[in-house]
Amino acid sequence: MSDTNTDTRTPLLEFRNINTHYGAVHILKDVNLAIYPGEMVSLLGGNASGKSTTLKTLLGMVTPTSGEVVLDGEVVNDKPTSYRVERGVTMVPENRRLFKRLSVKENLELGAYLRNDKAEIANDLERIYTMFPRVKERLNQKSGTLSGGEQQMVAMGRALMAKPRVLLMDEPSMGLAPALVQTNFELIQQIHEEGIAIFMVEQNANMALSLADRGWVLQTGRVVLDDTAENLLANPELQKSYLGGA
Amino acid sequence: MTTAIRAKGAAKTNVDKFLTLLRVLLIGAISVGLLAFIAQQIDPGNAFAKWTHDGQEANRLTGEQFKGLIVSGLSQGAMYGLIALGYSMVYGVLGFINFAHGEVFMVGAFTGFIMSNKFDEAGLWEGGAFIPTVLFTVLIATLIATGLAVLMERVAYRPLRGSPRLIPLITSIGVSFFIQNAVILLFGAGAKSYPPNPDWLQDDWILGIEGVKIVVIIVAAISMAGLWYFVERTKTGKAMRAVAEDKEIASLMGINVNRTIVTTFAVGGAMAGIGGMLWGLLFRSVIATTGFLPGIKAFTAAVVGGVGNLGGAMAGGVALGGAESLAPLTLLEPLGISGVSQLRDAVSFVLLILVLLIKPTGLFGERLSSDDRA
Amino acid sequence: MKKLFSILSVLLAFTLVAAACGSDATDVVDAGTDAVEDAVDGDDDAMEDDAMEDGEHLGDGSLGVVTVEAGDEIQIRSLEAISGDVAFLGLPNQRGTQQAVEDYGQIHGFDVTSGTGLDDLCSADGGQAAAQTIVADEQVIGVIGTSCSGAATAAAPLISEAGMVMISASNTSPALTSDQQGNAGENYNEGYYRTAHNDLFQGAAMAEFVFNDLGLTTAAAIHDGDPYTEGLASAFTNSFEELGGTVTGFTAVAKEDTDMTPVLTEIAAGSPEALFFPIFQPAGDFIADQAPGVSGLENTMLLAADGLLVDGYLELEASEGMHFSGPDTRFGENKNQSTGVSANEFLATYEENNGQAPEAPFWGHAYDATALLLDAIDAASWLDGDNLMIDRAGVREFLNGVRGYEGIIGTINCDDFGDCGSQKITIIQHLDSGDIEGSKANVVFEYAP
Repeated sequence: MSDTNTDTRTPLLEFRNINTHYGAVHILKDVNLAIYPGEMVSLLGGNASGKSTTLKTLLGMVTPTSGEVVLDGEVVNDKPTSYRVERGVTMVPENRRLFKRLSVKENLELGAYLRNDKAEIANDLERIYTMFPRVKERLNQKSGTLSGGEQQMVAMGRALMAKPRVLLMDEPSMGLAPALVQTNFELIQQIHEEGIAIFMVEQNANMALSLADRGWVLQTGRVVLDDTAENLLANPELQKSYLGGA
Repeated sequence: MTTAIRAKGAAKTNVDKFLTLLRVLLIGAISVGLLAFIAQQIDPGNAFAKWTHDGQEANRLTGEQFKGLIVSGLSQGAMYGLIALGYSMVYGVLGFINFAHGEVFMVGAFTGFIMSNKFDEAGLWEGGAFIPTVLFTVLIATLIATGLAVLMERVAYRPLRGSPRLIPLITSIGVSFFIQNAVILLFGAGAKSYPPNPDWLQDDWILGIEGVKIVVIIVAAISMAGLWYFVERTKTGKAMRAVAEDKEIASLMGINVNRTIVTTFAVGGAMAGIGGMLWGLLFRSVIATTGFLPGIKAFTAAVVGGVGNLGGAMAGGVALGGAESLAPLTLLEPLGISGVSQLRDAVSFVLLILVLLIKPTGLFGERLSSDDRA
Repeated sequence: MKKLFSILSVLLAFTLVAAACGSDATDVVDAGTDAVEDAVDGDDDAMEDDAMEDGEHLGDGSLGVVTVEAGDEIQIRSLEAISGDVAFLGLPNQRGTQQAVEDYGQIHGFDVTSGTGLDDLCSADGGQAAAQTIVADEQVIGVIGTSCSGAATAAAPLISEAGMVMISASNTSPALTSDQQGNAGENYNEGYYRTAHNDLFQGAAMAEFVFNDLGLTTAAAIHDGDPYTEGLASAFTNSFEELGGTVTGFTAVAKEDTDMTPVLTEIAAGSPEALFFPIFQPAGDFIADQAPGVSGLENTMLLAADGLLVDGYLELEASEGMHFSGPDTRFGENKNQSTGVSANEFLATYEENNGQAPEAPFWGHAYDATALLLDAIDAASWLDGDNLMIDRAGVREFLNGVRGYEGIIGTINCDDFGDCGSQKITIIQHLDSGDIEGSKANVVFEYAP
């Protein structure tokens, strides 16, 4: 399936005919994706459809068996995760995965591990404190002692500390109290408005598509739909299988 | 940990009852021994002491002797602690016990032996040049121990990364035998002596405590403080803790996990190297098997303190050294047991069992990263 | 995984406790000897007629007769501690045996060989394993060894069962022979002999020296659990109490211990005037080094025995001022009557062959022991055509009857339980770690029973 987007700009991050295997199991099958600077896109799909593998392959934590991962026009298949992180690709992992035994401040600092611009880092820290005042109150607490909502803030803060151009989000609303889900999406919106591209993998498809510009639907490792968010929301088949007919 | 949870919730099984009985018995025996010791310190001719000593009066320990035991326990314990740090760090990061770590300590002591004798032949060991010479020797011994630990990781453990952790554990036992026998092949099986320390180091400094023991305790404390600073305050230290907790997310932060693991081995090796050199200065004798028993003791110390916890490793070492030194005479001898000094190893391992029975995670233990990952 | 780890640690801990508590097992497995016995019996029947015909040799054939065919060599063995920490003790013994075999020459025209030197590992296990190898070869007549008493307790029963003899140059434990009051020791076996002294004499010598010569009335002793060290330490304390002294402490160290403060404090609590520790290196190094630093032992006399009377120990500054008991090695112009070789001639050859002087004092004992064995073989053998016949019982008969034999170590008399040594003990005072030979010659006390 070819890219239907007519945008002529260079994609920030791109999959060209990606195939991946886990042992003998074929996970991603000829997947093509493109994420452009500053946009918000969403990847939908059921369990075991290959969403997490897509994210890990983008970051270099999984090596594709064929095809190309392209970052700013450069093939980065054999580049380590740190190389991609340095060039602005960052992820907020599923379930947040904070370093629970490290303090909140240390978690944030580790987000900026590859940066050496001390003054800028201090600046960014301040920015995150203003964004999440509750985080500032808990700076020296071990992050494992925080509530789910607070942990989500730290996880986003930690990702932002890497100064990303594109933020990959793996199920950002999973495990959050329903009341927090809305706040969480507002935060994502807020980050997006600062010009950071968002690539969101989300079960809550309605919510995700209402924010996103475009979306893909992944089924058993294959991209079966690739369209604008409005069209996807209006797609009756998708409504039936993923959006709960809402 | 699972047993602790079950004990609180479900009905007690026979195993739980047995463990409780064991706890009560051990604590009871320790209390009786301690009371008997206090009683014979107050009155060596008391009825119990006469009964346990075949009608003879017991021997009372003088304050000087008591102090001697404490200082010797402390200096011995400080060395256990230094070695224990390496066990603890590697366990924290890779989740397996590197049994060859005791050999890194031995190689540190051996390097010290070779260099100190060379310097002694050149006339640099005694006299004014002692301090710079000994510092240089410590530096080289530490470097060689560090190099050995790093080499070990590269050659023996890295190829096994990702295999079940029993495999690197068994490999480490093999590495341990390999190094011991390599040293026997190179330098022979006999005991090797360090040259004598200058007199001022053997003299009493303060409170009638031998200088060399003070040096051992202070150097160990400084090394520990340095390590603490490194792990808690520096960027590399933070990366190390992040890798210990979650390697995947650590690499997502851009941390080079392999390099961090190498750093962990290197730092643990450096601590063992310093420990080996201190051992050489204190006991002035080293043999190819020098690393074995202190290694096992340090491993015990790491477990007593809570594996993965650096402060715990140091505290466990000092607790173990102190127990070994004091327990035979204060807990066993008053009960009329003869040849108590031969039982010191038994004492230290009973202590290990006791701590594990009462607090399975060790004195300062906490939930380990492996629980979160599995 | 955490649980597995805990279980593993506890298991490990229990194992180590068990190891720390248990002493060396000295059980002797008899497997293997029966077969040898049968083989010897077989020989016995075949040779009995010949033995009856010849009246020119010792023995009644009751333990079998060995046939050495023309062109073959007479087989004896050397079993010494030749590796590890105690190789310093065993190697000179082994070399002493080799030199004696060379100096002695042929017996009835047959060459003698001591084979490849076997290792007793200075342990019961090592002694047993090596003895099994030896008895499996029914041509072997006798063994010179072992170096360590602990190895002998396991080896001697096997050698004895096989009808062979064993002569040790450096076993000194009283349990291997007798209590010198006519009672066999608990590890005595027929066919066991030694040219080394019995430690009852060494213990008595040290006790007399401390009590009578130094005038001290309180003493303590430390051993390391080895039969030699424990036997000698208790020989000392028993003699010391008989003389009227008070024993304030009797305890043990583990061989691997390095921090001796606890054990020394245990001893110091009894305030002894003298401390006798007949153990080995390296534990002995740590005791001498750390004792002066323990409160209550600053002025205690430190005494040790032949196990520490070695150059590696005397070189330590910490050993200066100590007294050492040991066999009288002032051999002077003594000559071995069988070979005519004197102590000085022996030493010259030894240094020429090995590039150094012997590190331990029992080389002369090994030389004399070997010469005695070869004399015994000579007396118990006869020619039968081209073959040499050796009567095992005759070898024992000869050794049991040794009286007034002149050896390098002095006059040798064998008693009913295999003690053949001259039993002369000397005590030296070690004055200068820079002049070891001077210290060794500085005899301050002599003892002969």
